[in-house]
Amino acid sequence: MRLRTISASLLFLCSSASALAQTVEIEFTNLMHGQSFTPRLVVAHDETIDTFEAGTEASTALAWLAEAGVIEDEQNPASAGQNFEALLGPESTDNGSNTWRRFGGLLSPSTTVTYQFDTMGKPLLSVLTMLIPTNDAFAGLDAIEIPTEPGVYTYTLNAYDAGTELNDELNSARTDVVEAGTGLALGGYGVPGVAGAPTSIVPLGTGATGVGVQVVNGEIEDGTDGPIHIHRNVLGDTNQSAGASDLNSTVHRWLNPVARLTITVPAS
Amino acid sequence: MKNSNVFKILLPLSVLALLSACSGDDGADGLQGPQGQQGEQGPQGAAGQDGADGQDGADGQDGADGAAGQDGVNGNSAVYTVQVTNLTFAQPFSPVAVVMHEPGYTAFVDGEPATVGLEVLAEGGDNQAFIDEARASVDFLDVVSTQGPVLPKTISDTLTLVVPELDADNLRITIATMLINTNDAFTALNAVNISDMEVGEAQTFSAPTWDSGTEANVETAETMPGPAAQALGAGGQAAGFDASRDGGEGVVHFHRGVTTSANADDPSFEGLASSILTEQHRWDNPSMRVTITRTR
Repeated sequence: MRLRTISASLLFLCSSASALAQTVEIEFTNLMHGQSFTPRLVVAHDETIDTFEAGTEASTALAWLAEAGVIEDEQNPASAGQNFEALLGPESTDNGSNTWRRFGGLLSPSTTVTYQFDTMGKPLLSVLTMLIPTNDAFAGLDAIEIPTEPGVYTYTLNAYDAGTELNDELNSARTDVVEAGTGLALGGYGVPGVAGAPTSIVPLGTGATGVGVQVVNGEIEDGTDGPIHIHRNVLGDTNQSAGASDLNSTVHRWLNPVARLTITVPAS
Repeated sequence: MKNSNVFKILLPLSVLALLSACSGDDGADGLQGPQGQQGEQGPQGAAGQDGADGQDGADGQDGADGAAGQDGVNGNSAVYTVQVTNLTFAQPFSPVAVVMHEPGYTAFVDGEPATVGLEVLAEGGDNQAFIDEARASVDFLDVVSTQGPVLPKTISDTLTLVVPELDADNLRITIATMLINTNDAFTALNAVNISDMEVGEAQTFSAPTWDSGTEANVETAETMPGPAAQALGAGGQAAGFDASRDGGEGVVHFHRGVTTSANADDPSFEGLASSILTEQHRWDNPSMRVTITRTR
């Protein structure tokens, strides 16, 4: 135990990390053709926070983000106590281990937005945003070290499958299919179906029988396929009224990376 | 650095090993040392404070001694741990071969034919010939393999590799494993530079997927070793390696992905009706994540 204490203090001595507030400019680009991004969760944090880890199960907060694009209560009161706001603390606040922002609005394919973000001296940065229309795909930047030297730094984000919902690829506007067992309509968090159907750059199909899980007697199972992993991509098809998927294979697919993020550290 | 005396009392070897974690700082301290001692000789109070720097310098020197002390235990070794995450949805990794080596050895080159060792690994998942080829290189340092497959969506056990400390400043790592529900796909780190890692430092790498070019991607049960083929009564080692390279693309290249039978009936007819793979066996890059930590 003494040794642990010493090593901890020694590591502190080794560290040259600054504890000063630091506002950086973050530029975020949607690199895809047919998928939009839900509001971006941008978190500056220390080593005690891990928003996601490939190979491990997703948190409920991540499920809300990846299935419905929801980060905080304001977006959907039903997520209270389960979302990232509950996990991290209030927005735009120094929560000790972290500070975070929700940069709202839909980010369409092939577009770029720029944000000013105060990291409040936290050493690491994670960024998460859902791909719509999908069941539970999200783009993730996993705890990169925030640069402190003035300059422009570029990162790319891959698309992950949160693993909290089977990839049925069913149009959530459909009324001919309901969740098995509950009879609930298709939609966002906690129920089957791709969220964000109205945002698609082409109309989604109907009548598909399901991809990662199949429709049986007008019902679709809301299973899981975790832990978190790199998304195998949507399948889609070219049949608007039948086939396996209500997504379009010539429009909605992507290849990694799906987003580019640059951090500009201003000269101080 | 009031702690310096404490260091010498408590578990000196371990603590000094920790000290070497700040090797950069040690170097700086060591350089400051002589200046500090000059300060001590000075008559003025301010100079006396410089003298404290001088003591830091002494710490740095202790660090060097500590490293020498480890000779008696395990030789002058640098130790690394490696963990591999299978990022795919439904492609188990064959036993993962992890090789550390000096510059000069390359397991494969894009656009050139695969070695037989890589062919055996990429077609059947057996990494022994691949490891033997690495061992035969004059640049070889150490190798380990996972005990068994690394399943999809999971993180492997921690592997430990030991190399001479003298090689830590010019070190390469090569990792290879087959995606076993394929004909000859593998993911790899190819002689990635991991030189000059400090003790306690970790690096993470993402790996793409290659096609070894040694077998046609027909996606039939008779030609793939993984569970997708085994579920149909085929698969296993017998369905893996075949010395013939007929039908293969000829050279190592980035994999174009599996076609699978999905959408075989779609108007697009993009599916391969004769494939036993389903849409679940698809992947996107990266297919593997590797975390390397230097522990000593």
